[in-house]
Formats: sequence, structure tokens, C-alpha cells
Amino acid sequence: MSTGQLSAVRQRNNVTVSGNPAGRPLVFAHGFGCSSEMWHLVAPRFEEDYLVVTFDHVGAGASDLDAYDRGKYDSLHGYADDILEILDDLDLTDVVFVGHSVSAMMGVLAATRQPGRFGALVLVGPSPRYVNTDAYTGGFEQDDIDSLLDALDANYLGWSEAMAPVIMGNPTQPQLGESLTASFCSTDPTIARHFARVTFLSDNRRDLPLVTTPTLVVQCKEDVIAPLPVGQYVHESIPNSTLVVLDATGHCPNLSAPDELTAEIQAFLR
Amino acid sequence: MTAVTDDGHADPVPVDPPSDYVDLYENAPCGYVVTSFDGTITSVNETFTRMVGYSRSDLIGRNFQSLLTVGSQLFHETRFLPVLHLRKRVDEIALKLRCADDSTLPTLVNGVQSGVSGEVRIALFDSTERTDYEQELLAARRAAEISEAQVGILQRASTAFTLADTEAALTAALAESVREAFAASFTAILLYDDHGVLQLATGTHPLLEYIQAGWDTPSTRAVDRNDVVIVGSLEEAEKEFPKLAPVYRANQLEACIASPLTDKGKAVGVISSFFRRKRDFDPALLELLATLTQQASHVLARIRLQSQLARMALHDLLTGLANRQLLQARLDQAIAAAERSGRPLAVIFLDLDGFKVVNDSCGHAVGDSVLQQVADRLRASVRSADTIGRYGGDEFVVICEDSDADAVSHVADRILAAVKEPLVDVPDEYPVSASIGVALLVPEANPSVTTDGMLGLADAAMYQSKNAGKDRVTVVLV
Repeated sequence: MSTGQLSAVRQRNNVTVSGNPAGRPLVFAHGFGCSSEMWHLVAPRFEEDYLVVTFDHVGAGASDLDAYDRGKYDSLHGYADDILEILDDLDLTDVVFVGHSVSAMMGVLAATRQPGRFGALVLVGPSPRYVNTDAYTGGFEQDDIDSLLDALDANYLGWSEAMAPVIMGNPTQPQLGESLTASFCSTDPTIARHFARVTFLSDNRRDLPLVTTPTLVVQCKEDVIAPLPVGQYVHESIPNSTLVVLDATGHCPNLSAPDELTAEIQAFLR
Repeated sequence: MTAVTDDGHADPVPVDPPSDYVDLYENAPCGYVVTSFDGTITSVNETFTRMVGYSRSDLIGRNFQSLLTVGSQLFHETRFLPVLHLRKRVDEIALKLRCADDSTLPTLVNGVQSGVSGEVRIALFDSTERTDYEQELLAARRAAEISEAQVGILQRASTAFTLADTEAALTAALAESVREAFAASFTAILLYDDHGVLQLATGTHPLLEYIQAGWDTPSTRAVDRNDVVIVGSLEEAEKEFPKLAPVYRANQLEACIASPLTDKGKAVGVISSFFRRKRDFDPALLELLATLTQQASHVLARIRLQSQLARMALHDLLTGLANRQLLQARLDQAIAAAERSGRPLAVIFLDLDGFKVVNDSCGHAVGDSVLQQVADRLRASVRSADTIGRYGGDEFVVICEDSDADAVSHVADRILAAVKEPLVDVPDEYPVSASIGVALLVPEANPSVTTDGMLGLADAAMYQSKNAGKDRVTVVLV
């Protein structure tokens, strides 16, 4: 890891590297709605044994918003390209990729493209398709996705005026540094809408059987975004995968149940 | 009556509540909900039960999230909860409640998480009026933004089209505008070449090799039908282009839109955009595509006309061969190239024998026809890289680059034989043949020569052929 100028890729994706330089690389990827901050209760727990990498997807957190090319990021493949570029830039192999939510599918796409880079996949709350079809239950109808876009609109109206101070000012948690608070879960509304479409209207069911990397599927017992049958579908579709169901509820066990999630990942990697 | 806890939150202290304390809580002008860490409702006030239309006993034990519309559930899960967990509080989040009577109620929500138990306290304000107003505002703003963006694309495209003076500049500008408008992963333009084969003009076309192999693709269908072809999803691709579907998969493509470029109503090429996920295209976007391709088609026709005119200025109208001006420019380049590379260069100078008699006896029309026939025979006799020009009257010049004495003699002999063949419309009593002079430059022997010098030598060699009895070749070294 050079100490000089950060590479273009590392700047673009706000890549941070910490932990044991001799350890196995563990890459944490965040999902829709927030940033690499989603992993701040989990990632540090691996630093003793692993080389820990976190990053922000372009358009999120402290990534380079100018790098947001709508054509490139109109599909999860564009994000998967970035992941492969990060691994290449850091020259990592035998990577453990931990992807939360939509990042789980980005990890699937990256690992099927360059299986040689990956040693293991950990998919936290994955869903290969959110919208129901005749033969498949993803949990949502097209109208529901439109209603999410409405919810985004309702919340980002006047975003720059109203939301920014809320995001920036956090008097109750002075331990969060200034640069960090500036990027904290902040989202450009136009990018958020586009990312929401790409996330919730993608269909990656056909990619699952192509995974050859050992995979852990982590599912919460109740998750409105990725319900249990979806987790089971992912597990059944990926050869050589393991499914664990956490006792936690909700879609973000990395925040709500970091102990349990950490323990499961450690057990899988042992 | 408050105490400040470690984490800076003000918590009510239930010491000696005034008699109206319960009423203050139950009938506060906002809904109030307390949930456990995992979202299970443990307490609600009276106002909240009225807001959602459920009784207190219906609500206790339920998950708070289940009271939201699906869109709000998604937002609650992807933003409200992460921010709550990370910052321990959330302010002014807009969430919609799903009420008992199936109506929805927009609210603005503040939430605070206790640092110790993880218990969450939520206050909800009815924001119906504000939301109605905001939604109208937002709809208007969204519409304005979209049309502004599209007008912007159209304006930038129009400017770029007007400035474009080559096909390459035009196609690049069109492809960029369309890629921007559609947020496409790839956009490519194919144009027919002189042989009716679609060739890549700009961009990345992931199916190009299949098109050139004659497969049915969205792009070829668009030019064949002279109409826009849309493939919205992989399923549609499998249905419409079953042979191509595996190629789609292998290239991570899912959707495509292909639109023909036309000249006088005829398809001359196609612009195709590819997407790596399922896509719908709204009518405004399709209209923008139609406008852009139409404008670009007009400009393409203009550029082609201009290049045809430019071509005419450098070519002999009768025979289509290079004119003297172009010949001289080409020879300048060829001499420079030969001097750089050290490879030999030959110039063939040809004057027809017997042409003046044909022209005088059979008329100018037949004379013109002879010149055209000779031009065709020259084209058939030279090598593909050679340049042929009409130097004037019945004089022709061929520039043969990278050609030694042997190679140029072969070409000259072929020309000699070809010209002697009977000509259409010319009676046998008027034989036509060629007197040929060749000037051969071997750069290491004589490194420096001018264009005029070389043409002069070839001309002089031609006269030697003429004086020696016509219908022959004379080669001189420069």
C-alpha cells in the first residue's frame, strides 16, 4: 500500500485499508441508502486478523460524485466493474467479499467474472430480484418500487437546504469526525433515485448458479426487503453455499446485530 | 421537568406528575410511539391510535414498520433505521402510514434511540397539507427538470451537429447525446459502406461481429424495417432473437433500442443503445431520440453532399479518376514516403495512340466513351493500392508505390494489353493503343526528386515510346 498519492480508483471509491497487512483481505461493500459507515460496527472487529477494506460506491458517501456516469451505473455490472478495479488496484487475491443488500449481487457479478480473485463471498440480506413475477416471489410489486421513489422524493425535496444540516450536525456523537459526518449517509437525490431503480429493478437470478466461490448467505429472520424465502432461493441457487438465519430482524444486521453477524462470518471463515 | 442523560438526550422524569400529565401525553398534537430495539411497539398515545385507526391493543406488540406503506417501509429500512442506529436520532423523515381503513397518512417523523436499552421513541406529525402541496411542487419540478434536461441535450446536440463537418464528428456527437439521454451502457452508430455492408462509425457495438456475419439483430432489423426496434428485457430478446440471446447473456446485455438513420427516407445506418438491465422507455425519451436521429440524418446528408462536392473538385468528372491536382498531391506524399522508407516508387505516364482520329471521326460522345472505357481498363490493370489519374486530354498517370522495375513492368504490360482490346462503339479501322513511359525512383540510388521532375521524366519516356513506334513501354531510372 503506497503512502504517496492515492490512486484514481481509491479516490473515486473512497477506499480505506486497515487491519493486518499480512492478513487475508476482507472487503466490505455497503448497500442502497447509506455508505461504508454501515460497516463501522463490524469491520473493526476483523482488523486484528484480516486486511480490512471498505469503500463507498460511486454516488454514495465520500466517493467522487463527478465520476457518476449514468450509463455506467445504470446496471449492477458498472458497480461490479468498480469492485474488480479496486481489487486489482490493491492487488488482492483470495478476497473475502462481504456485500450487504444490493452489494451482495454486485459481489456475485464480480465473482463470476473473475472467480480467481475471490476466496469467499458473504452475502448479507441478498436478493436477486425484488419484483414478483409469475413464478417468483421477490416481495414487491412494480407499484411498490414507484412508491419507494415517491418516498425518496418526499424526503429529498429541498434536500440541500433541509437535510444537509441534519446530516452534518450531530452534537450527540462528537466522536464522529468532521470529514466523516460530512459524508455521513448523505446522498445526492438524483443519484439516489437512479440507484434505487437500478437496485430494485435488477434481475440477477440467472447469475446465481454461475458462482463457483464458497458462499455464505446471511439472512435475518424477518426482513421486509429480503424475506426468508428469498434468502433460501439464493442459497439453493448458488452451489456450495451455506445459509444462516440470524435471530435479528430487519435488513441491516450490520447495525442492529453486529455481534451475531461478526460471529457468523468468523465461523464461516474459520 | 427533564434530566439530561449521558448521551445528551432529554428524558422525561416521572416524578410528581401534574394531574393533567396523562392527558398531555395521550392527546398531544402528535402521535407518539415507543418501540423496543427491534421495532416492536410497546406503547402508543391516544393521538396515534386516532391517526392510524387501530386500537391500542391492536398496536401493542406489532412491528412499527408494518404500519407503513411499502415504499415507506423500504425507506424506513434503508435510511431511517441506519441513521437511527448510527446517530441515535433521526429528524424530519417523511413516512406514510397505512391506516386501518386502508387510507394512507403522510407524516413527518422524528425518532430517538436510547443509548442503553435501544428503545426507540418516535413522534409523528400529520403532514397531509404540506405533503399535498409538496407533491404538486415536486411533480412540477420533476417535469420541469426532465424537460430542461432533454432540451439541454437537444440544444447541445444541435450545436454539435451544426459544427460537425465530417461524418466522424457528427456520429460522435449523435452517439454522445443519445447515450446521455438514455443513460446507455453502450451506444454505437453503424453506417452502410459503398458495398452495402454496415460498418462501425462510432462507439462500441457489442454485436458487430454477428451483424457482419449476417445474423438477425435489433440493429439490422431497424434498418431493414426502417423503424425503431426496442428490446426491453432479456426475456424479450429470447423471444424475438432466440439465436442472439446467449450472446446477450455472455456480454451482460439485457435491453437495446435501435433507430435507423435515413437519407431521403431510406435507411443509411443505425444508432443502437445497449443496456445492462431491463429498461422501459417513456414516450418523451422516444420522441427525443426521434428528433435527434432526424436532425442528425439531415446533417449527415449535408455532409455527404459536401464531401461529394469536394470529391468532384479533386476528380475528373468524365472518368471519376483523380484529376491533375489530386495526382500531384498524391505524388508529393508518395515521394516523401519513398524517401522515408527507402522503398522504390514508379510513375506510369500513358498517352493514347489513335485517340484523336477516333474523336474527330466518330464524334466527341464516342471519344468520351473511349476515355471512360480506358479508365475502367486501367482500374482493372493496376494494383489495388495504386492511384490512377487523368492528367489531361488522353493522358493518364498511375502512381505505383513500393514498386520495383519488375512490378511496374508487369503493370505497364497489363495496361498495354488491356488498352489494345477492341473498344465498344469504335470501328475496327480505328485502332487505339497506349504509349507508356515509366519513371522509376530507387531512393538509395537517387534520394532526391521533385514531383514535377518525376512526372517530366515519365512524360519524356512516354515520348520515347511514341517516337519508337507507339504501343510500347519505356522505363527510365530517376
